[in-house]
Amino acid sequence: MDGTTGYVIVGALLFALGLVGFVTRRNLIVMFLCTEVMFQGVLLNVVALGGMHANLEGQAFGLFLLAIAAVEAGLALGLLMLLYRAKATLDAEVWSAMRG
Amino acid sequence: MTVSTSYLLYLVFAVGGVGVYLLLPRAQRSARAAGTLLALAALAALLVVLAVRMLGPGPTAGYFYVFATVALAAAVRVVTHPRPVHCALYFVLVVVAVAALLVLQRAEFLAIALIIIYAGAILVTYVFVIMLAQQRGDAVYDTRAREPLLGVLAGFVLMAAMAGQVDRLPLPRPSAASPFTGAVLSISPQGLPAGPAQLPGNTLTVGQLVMTKYVVVLEMTGVLLLVAIIGAVALSGKRVPVDQPPPTWVVGKIGKEVKPF
Repeated sequence: MDGTTGYVIVGALLFALGLVGFVTRRNLIVMFLCTEVMFQGVLLNVVALGGMHANLEGQAFGLFLLAIAAVEAGLALGLLMLLYRAKATLDAEVWSAMRG
Repeated sequence: MTVSTSYLLYLVFAVGGVGVYLLLPRAQRSARAAGTLLALAALAALLVVLAVRMLGPGPTAGYFYVFATVALAAAVRVVTHPRPVHCALYFVLVVVAVAALLVLQRAEFLAIALIIIYAGAILVTYVFVIMLAQQRGDAVYDTRAREPLLGVLAGFVLMAAMAGQVDRLPLPRPSAASPFTGAVLSISPQGLPAGPAQLPGNTLTVGQLVMTKYVVVLEMTGVLLLVAIIGAVALSGKRVPVDQPPPTWVVGKIGKEVKPF
């Protein structure tokens, strides 16, 4: 079977679900968890499309994607601790001073 | 006359979108059961559409359905659960299911790396931060979603735009002589993996690709990780002005003050 279609659709759904979560949730930690769900969708897509092309470029790219995700998580959590120390809440709505 | 697969997927995504909208945290909890039902119905319908229209029977199709179901259901719970710790634990489930899907795609090394890095390292950091910063009880910003209708609508439009292209799938498989081909997967013409005797091993081939063709990218990734470490330390450390005496160290009631060495 050529299962690429199924994997691509599941990856796209994971990405869209993460997007919905990132837009709608107000807890900063959960917002970043939703971006990690989006990362999972992208990873699945990259590997599935690489498999469709019958080479390993997708898997090598996925490896670097993992490293970038680790970097993102580390920096994002450091920033979260900084924000939490300033206002003692995880509510994203608190940081809306620049809203027009 | 058969209906286009795109329209079937539009319908599935619409039902699932309504389900996710009802499941998102809100003040009254009455809509939760209806949301769960709608989301499950959409998931089942998606699997049926995939099975009938696209995938067909295959040696790994059953495993694909199982792990796709687990991944999508857990992702819905990540997005909709009002408690951050539960969100993090459901995210572990997403990671494990995605790793299983990667194994089905013959990406074994990436699957193991995913579990070690995500479920092992990143998730522990997340749970630590949740425990450091979480307030007692359910916070109001966890139980009220922000603009749930607009958010779900944005996700639906994104998925609909992608589903509009789905009739062109599966794309024709490019020939192995394509100029963009790197290390070639060991795939027999039937799409099944070749016997273990011919396979050099996924870790070996990916490692060779990363250490030869992408070695510059690998070094750049190392530099990026170093920068991220320095950045994280600089962000989360306490600032102490140089002209002031160092702060007194906070100690609990039990125990004595320990001077830093």
